[in-house]
Amino acid sequence: MNEFVETLLDLPWQVGDPKPAYDVVIIGAGGHGLSTAYYLATRHGITNVCVLDSNFIGSGNSGRNTTIIRSNYGIPESVAFYQHSLEMYQQLEAETGCWIMHSQKGQIWLAHSVSTARTEQTRALMNQAMGAKTDYIGPDEIKRLCPQIDLSGGGRYPVHGASYHHEGATARHDRVVWAYAQGALRAGVHVYQHTPVTGLLMDGDRVTGVQTPKGNISAGTVISAVGGNVTTVSNWAGVRLPIRTHALQAFVTNAHAQEFDPIISSNDLVFYVSQTPRGQMLIGAEYDRFASYRQATSFAYLQACSKKSITMFPFLAKLRIMRSWTGICDVSTDFSPIMGETGVPGFMISTGWGTWGFKAIPAGGEQLAQLVATGSAPLIEPFGLDRFAKEAAMADPSSAGTR
Amino acid sequence: MSRVVYDGTPIECEPGDSLAIAALRAGQHPARGGTLCLAGDCGNCSAIVDGTPWVRTCQTEARPGAVVQRHPNGSHPSPGGPEHHTQVTVRHRSADHVVIGNGDSGAAAAAALRSEGHDVLVLDEAAGDEVVGVFDGPSIIVRRNDGIEHFHVHHITLATGAAEVHPVCPGNLMAGIFTPKAAAKVRAAGVDLGNVVTVGAELKAFHGEGRVSEVELADGSRVSCDNVIVNLGSAPRDVLARMAPLVPVQIVGPAAEAHALPAAPQEGVLCPCGKITVEDLDGVWNKGFHDLELVKRSSLCGTGTCQGAVCMPHLRSFVADRSGVEPKPFTARPAARQVSMAEAAAGYHIDTFRRTPLHGEHTKLGATLDKFGGWFRPWNYGDAVSEYWAVREGVSLGDVSTLGKMMVSGPDVVEALERLYPNHVHDIKVGRSRYVINLNERGHVLDDGMICREGDTRFLLTFTSGGASTAEMWVRDWVETWGLKVHVLDRTVSHGAINVTGPLAGELLRRAGVNDDDRPKFLQHRHIDVAGIPCHVMRLSFTGEASFELHHQIDQSVELWQALMELGAPLGIKPHGLQALFGLRLEKGHVIVGQDTELDSTPRRINMDWAVKLEKDAFVGRDALIRTASLPDERRLFGFTMDGPAPLEGSVIRVNGDVVGHVTSSWDSPMYGHAVLMGWQKRLPHADVVEIDGREARVSAVPFYDKEGARARM
Repeated sequence: MNEFVETLLDLPWQVGDPKPAYDVVIIGAGGHGLSTAYYLATRHGITNVCVLDSNFIGSGNSGRNTTIIRSNYGIPESVAFYQHSLEMYQQLEAETGCWIMHSQKGQIWLAHSVSTARTEQTRALMNQAMGAKTDYIGPDEIKRLCPQIDLSGGGRYPVHGASYHHEGATARHDRVVWAYAQGALRAGVHVYQHTPVTGLLMDGDRVTGVQTPKGNISAGTVISAVGGNVTTVSNWAGVRLPIRTHALQAFVTNAHAQEFDPIISSNDLVFYVSQTPRGQMLIGAEYDRFASYRQATSFAYLQACSKKSITMFPFLAKLRIMRSWTGICDVSTDFSPIMGETGVPGFMISTGWGTWGFKAIPAGGEQLAQLVATGSAPLIEPFGLDRFAKEAAMADPSSAGTR
Repeated sequence: MSRVVYDGTPIECEPGDSLAIAALRAGQHPARGGTLCLAGDCGNCSAIVDGTPWVRTCQTEARPGAVVQRHPNGSHPSPGGPEHHTQVTVRHRSADHVVIGNGDSGAAAAAALRSEGHDVLVLDEAAGDEVVGVFDGPSIIVRRNDGIEHFHVHHITLATGAAEVHPVCPGNLMAGIFTPKAAAKVRAAGVDLGNVVTVGAELKAFHGEGRVSEVELADGSRVSCDNVIVNLGSAPRDVLARMAPLVPVQIVGPAAEAHALPAAPQEGVLCPCGKITVEDLDGVWNKGFHDLELVKRSSLCGTGTCQGAVCMPHLRSFVADRSGVEPKPFTARPAARQVSMAEAAAGYHIDTFRRTPLHGEHTKLGATLDKFGGWFRPWNYGDAVSEYWAVREGVSLGDVSTLGKMMVSGPDVVEALERLYPNHVHDIKVGRSRYVINLNERGHVLDDGMICREGDTRFLLTFTSGGASTAEMWVRDWVETWGLKVHVLDRTVSHGAINVTGPLAGELLRRAGVNDDDRPKFLQHRHIDVAGIPCHVMRLSFTGEASFELHHQIDQSVELWQALMELGAPLGIKPHGLQALFGLRLEKGHVIVGQDTELDSTPRRINMDWAVKLEKDAFVGRDALIRTASLPDERRLFGFTMDGPAPLEGSVIRVNGDVVGHVTSSWDSPMYGHAVLMGWQKRLPHADVVEIDGREARVSAVPFYDKEGARARM
C-alpha cells in the first residue's frame, strides 16, 4: 500500500444521460468548472446544474500544472482575490473532508540584480498593504530557508535578496478537482465525462444551451470554464476574447530524499523549483513564446530549464528527469483572468487563467457562483471582460516579467 | 578481472558486464529485489551510481572503479559526490533515416532502406544508445555513457520490439525472478542460475525469505528453486510512438503488433515503483475512479520511475476486466530513458549579459556594476550623492552606450516615421532632433527616445536600453507591413555613446577641441571631432543639465573616455552611475518607461499628451487613443514631495486609508533636502495630499527642478 493512494474520496456518479434542461450548464469539468458547480449547489442551493467535459474530470490544465498556491501579486485587486483563494485552500480539507495534500511551504522569489530586487521589494510592500504575508529578505535568511541554494548563482547570478511569501503552498492538483467533484455530485449536480460540447444554442443574441453528441441541453445560464480552447467556445457566442494560448512545460525528477522545504522561483532566470510530497523535484519555467494548442514537450525546454535550475541548485545536476508535461495557457493581454458576464445574455466565462489558474480554483468558483446566484461578486468585478473596452486593464507589473 | 564497489563491497566483474550482471555474478540482486528484465524498461535494478540515484544498472557498463550504492530501504535516495564539474559532452548529429532498435525488425528495416539507397543510422541500445525521446523537428535525443547526442533527422523508424511482461502476484518483490530474455543474458555472461524453474500463466505466488525459494502454482503445488524464469508474453515497447503522436514515425516489428493483455491481476504488487497493489486499484475503482487516467491518478499506478513500463499491461487488463472495455494505453511523455539534469542541460548556455566597451574603465574606477536590461552597467562609483553633485554643479560622464541606436533612410523614410511615431516628423529640420514616444496599437507607451534628422531621407533613432532589443523588430515589422522603401540599420552595438553633462560640459568640450560655435545648441546634433575622435554629438538632456551625447565607433570608446576624464580632471570631473542618474532625471520628472509606466499606460496617464499629435492622419495607436480619449480615466502618474527619508520604491500610496496606487520612483533629493517621488493614483478624485509609508506626501508639479528648462540650454 502506497500512502498516497486515494482512499477518502468517492465519486457518486449520477445514472443515465443528461436531462434536456438545467438551470446552469458548465462547459469544462476542471477545477474551475467543478468548483463553480460546487459553490452553486452548496452556497446558493442551485443544484439543477450540469458540468460537461470532453474528456475525464481534471483532464486539462487542472491536472497539468505545478500545484502552486500563492497570492503575491502586484496590484491590489489581484492580491485581494488570490489571498481569498489561498485562505479558502487552507480551509478546503476541513470543509470537504478530502485530503488534498495541502502543504504550506513558503514561496521565495529570488532577485539577482538591483532592478529585480526593486521588483521584489515592490511585491512585498503591495502584499503587506493588501493582507498577504510577504517580506523582503536578504541572502542569509534565504540560505537558512533553503540550504541547498548556491547564493553565488554559479558566479553569474548572485542573489541580492528575495520576497518571501510565508503562506505560499502546494496541493495535489487532481485531488482538488476530485474534492469539488465529490462535493458537487453529492449535492446533486450532474457531471458528464466524455461529453464534448460541439456548439451553443442561440435564441437571437442570447445563449440558451449547448449542443452535445448526447443531444441538445438547454440552460438558463451557460458558463465556459474551458481551458486551452476558450476562444473556440466564445466564438460560438460571437464573443471575441483578448486571449492567446501558449504551452507551458514542466517536469519532475525521480523521487529523492533531499529535504527541500520552500517553493523557490527566480525572477531573472525564470524558473521555479519545489519538492512534491512524493519526493520528486518539480521544476517549471515560463510559457513558450509562440502561440500553440499542443500538449507536446520539447527537449529545448528541458535543456534550458535544467541549466537554469542547476545554476542555482547544484545538487539537481545528478537528479534524473522522470517525466515532463505541458499545459495550455490562455493568456490575456493584461495577464489577468477574465471572469463573469460576456455581454451576451445567458453566457458567462471564466478564463484568462494564464499560468496561474490552479491557485484561483476556490475563489474563482465561489465568486462566479455568487455572480450567477445574486448578480454581484465584488472580488471579481475588476476582472470583467468589459475592462478592456473601458481601458481599465488589470496589468500586473509583477506578473508580467514572471508569467 | 576488474572491480567495482557495490554497496561498500568490492566485487569482481568480467569485461562487458553491466553493473547488474556484475552484481548477479556476485550472487546478489542489483537492487533489493523485484523481477529483472535487464532491458532498461523497469526500475527494479536501479541504484546510486557514482552519486547519481535511479540509474538502471542493467544499462550501465561495469566501469572499473565505479561506486554503486543500493537505494536506502524504505526511503528515497539522495544524490551524492561532487556537484560542480559535472561536464557532459553534447554532440549534434544529423541523419536522413534513423532506425531505433537493432533487433530482427530493426536490422531488416535498415537493410531494406539501405537497399533503396538511403543513408541509414541505427540506434542500438546494446551499443549504449539510450533514446530519451522523439521530439518535433523531428529530432531524437540519445543518452550515451560518454555524452548526449542530439539527432536532427528526416525519417524515423521505430523498431523497439516488445517488453516482457512482469509477474503480478504475492512475493513478486523478492530477488531471484527473471524474464526469459533477462535469464538468457545472465546465462550468456556465464553466470550460473542454479536450480531454475520456468513458469507461465499458471504462476500463483512466490515464497521465500528475501529471495524466492519456492514457486506456488495455480493448482496449489509448490516447486523449490534457486531462481525463477517467468514467461508471460510481451507488450509492445511503443513508448516513443505514444510520446510524439504528431511526429511522423514508422513503427515496425513487434512494437507495432497487437499483443494480448495478460490475465487480470488478482493479488500482489502491480506497480513496483510505488508498491501499489491490486487491492489499491480495487479501492479506487470502487470509489468511482473508472477512467484509466483516473485509476492511474488516484492510485498513482504508472507514475513512478518506470512510467508504466511494468504496470501498464496489468493496469489496462484490470480496467478491461472491471469495465468490459479495453482502454487505450495512456500518453507517454519524455523521458523514455532517463537523463540527469546535467545531461539534459548539456550544450545550453544561459544568455550572457552584455558589457559596453567601457566596462573595463568602470571597473578601474571602482564601479559597482549590475545588470540592467541585458547589460552590465555602473550602478555607482562608490558615492551616488557626489556623482549627483558633479552633474548638478560641475561636469560628469555617463556611459550610455546601451541606448538603442538605429539609422533609417530611404525614399519613404519620412512617411514611415510619421506612421510610426505619434508626433510630427516631416517638420524636423536637418541637424535638429525631437523627443518622441513609441506607442503600440492599443495606444500604450512602449518606449521613448529621440529622432535626429541627418538629411532629407536619413534619420538616427534612439531607443531606451531596455527597448533596444525589440526596436529593430518593431521598426522592420511595420515598414515591411506598409511596404515602404526604408533601409534599417541597427547600430546599437557598433556605436558607443558617452553623455557629457553638467554646467561645465561646454567647457570640457572646449578643452577637447570643440569651438563654441561648433557646439550644437539644445536639440541640435552635429558631427564634430571631440578630442580628435569623430563623434555624432547630440544636445539633449535627461539629467536636467546641459548634456552632450557623444556617439562614436566603439573601437574609440576607451580612448574618448580616457581623454575626457583627463581633460576634465582640472574641472573636478566624476563619472556617474545609474543610481545618481535615476535621481537626477526624477528631479526633472522624466519617466523611465517600464519603471514609472505600466503595460497599459497611455500618454494621458503619464501626462504626456503633448507628445501626441492626434491631428495627424495616421500613426500606430491613433485609433485606440481617439477611442479612449473620451473615456473617464482614473489612473494618473503624479509627482509627490515629502519630508523625511525617501520611502522605498514600491511603497503603497493611500488616500483615506485605501490603497490607490504605489510609488514608482523615489529619491532623497540632495538639492532640496526632502524626498521627491513619482507614483500612481488610480482612483477619483485624485487627492492633493496622500499617505506614503505612514507619512504625509503632497502632490507636486513636475519637474521638481528647473521648471523652465533653462539649465539644459546653458
